[in-house]
Amino acid sequence: MSRIMNRIIVARIGLVVALLGIALTVSGCGYNTIPTLEEQAKARWSDVQNQYQRRADLIPNLVATVQGYAAQEKSVLTAVVEARAKATQVKVDVSDLTDPAKIKAFQDAQNQLTGALGRLLAVSENYPDLKSNANFLALQSQLEGTENRIAVARRDYIDAVRVYNTALRTFPTLIWAKTFFAGNKPMAEFTASEGSEKPPQVKF
Amino acid sequence: MVSNDKNIDLWLWIPGWRPSARPGMTLCAATMLCLFLTPLAFAFDFPELTGRVLDQAGIMSAVTKRDVEAKSKTLEEKSGIQLVVATVKTLEGSDIETYANQLFRVWKLGEAKKNNGVLLLVAPNEHKVRIEVGYGLEGTLTDALASVIISSAIVPRFKSNDFSGGIERGVDGIIGVLGTDSAGWQANALALRSNGNPLIDNIVIEVAIAWCIFVFVAIFVLGYRSRYPKHYVKRRGRRVLVTADTSPRSSSWSGGSWGSSGSSGGSSSDSGFSGGGGSSGGGGASGSW
Repeated sequence: MSRIMNRIIVARIGLVVALLGIALTVSGCGYNTIPTLEEQAKARWSDVQNQYQRRADLIPNLVATVQGYAAQEKSVLTAVVEARAKATQVKVDVSDLTDPAKIKAFQDAQNQLTGALGRLLAVSENYPDLKSNANFLALQSQLEGTENRIAVARRDYIDAVRVYNTALRTFPTLIWAKTFFAGNKPMAEFTASEGSEKPPQVKF
Repeated sequence: MVSNDKNIDLWLWIPGWRPSARPGMTLCAATMLCLFLTPLAFAFDFPELTGRVLDQAGIMSAVTKRDVEAKSKTLEEKSGIQLVVATVKTLEGSDIETYANQLFRVWKLGEAKKNNGVLLLVAPNEHKVRIEVGYGLEGTLTDALASVIISSAIVPRFKSNDFSGGIERGVDGIIGVLGTDSAGWQANALALRSNGNPLIDNIVIEVAIAWCIFVFVAIFVLGYRSRYPKHYVKRRGRRVLVTADTSPRSSSWSGGSWGSSGSSGGSSSDSGFSGGGGSSGGGGASGSW
């Protein structure tokens, strides 16, 4: 009789343990959560870098077009070319995402380029021939589109990093973070919104 | 089965479990409560996606609405591209780029795998217009082309308050650009569309939850059977559940109660139009007048 009851106990305990195991693996607070969120954040960072690179690729064409009409604006043109060279040199590898200093360096380089571009576009306002040039208009719209894409990519990255950092610190994923993923550090976000032409408005 | 009155109460090691409780119903109620506690992700008060043309600001004529809706429907049937025209009363203090991108993502325009959605958003009170292009169409409907459509077809007409004309010409321009890309036009676009059904995700989740409920109920029933074995007696060769007045009933679980918790996130309309699960990365162009 007690043997049967033992079997019942064991069976029930086994069932509960099995269910617990399944729940821990596939649920939102399971073992897979932290690596998944980390990979998502890294993917969003790649998107950000892609969009910045896209902007950098537009610049040679822009500089050439402006030079055709406003060659005397040498200082502004040179500033853009130099800022672009510097910005393309600073790259952040996905493994460096936990280092706030590297993110800041990347951001500073890109901000400089944004500033130089802004000055170039402001100077172009003084040249009506340039403003009505079809190529210049196309480039301008492409630049605006790229700036918008950069803003969207940054927002997505910040969201992904926030979710990942929160998972590292909140219960129950905290348990996994402290044990199996003790080496995972929170990822760095962008420090402050840069002074681009269209600062994104964040609503809380 | 065991018929010993001195059963050890094996289930008392679950804290708070009382034999008199109705475990199945409680579990159902708890699960349904959790299903409804979905967090609010967006701060904007977006309109519902009720169709291909959404004239919240009331600036379009009925004829234009019909024509644009028909053109958009034909476009989707031929190529799977989802083109939605929306006018909104207010951008809620945001810039149109942010608002359009968020709205595009909430409505999930375009097929999930191809991201081929286009949103033409007009905010007449803020004098802003934007064409938001999904990831998959950025190569066809480029920023430059979108900008040209806005500046040549839409804004001049908006300046003379011809909103219907501007929107219709803009839609013509967009369809024209999308039509020239042969890769966008598929023979069996509708068949492709049915592969990425967002409702299926909700069904999978609900089936998973139902399975979990079933398993929990099975545990409780097993516990009940071994705890109150005398209620399972053999009558004419078959085991029948005999319930006494004072002992708890077995978990009676009405299967239909959880089925009514519908899927949120999709949209319903008379024409059956809903987003295909696509997203946008901020491509397109804006304009103002």
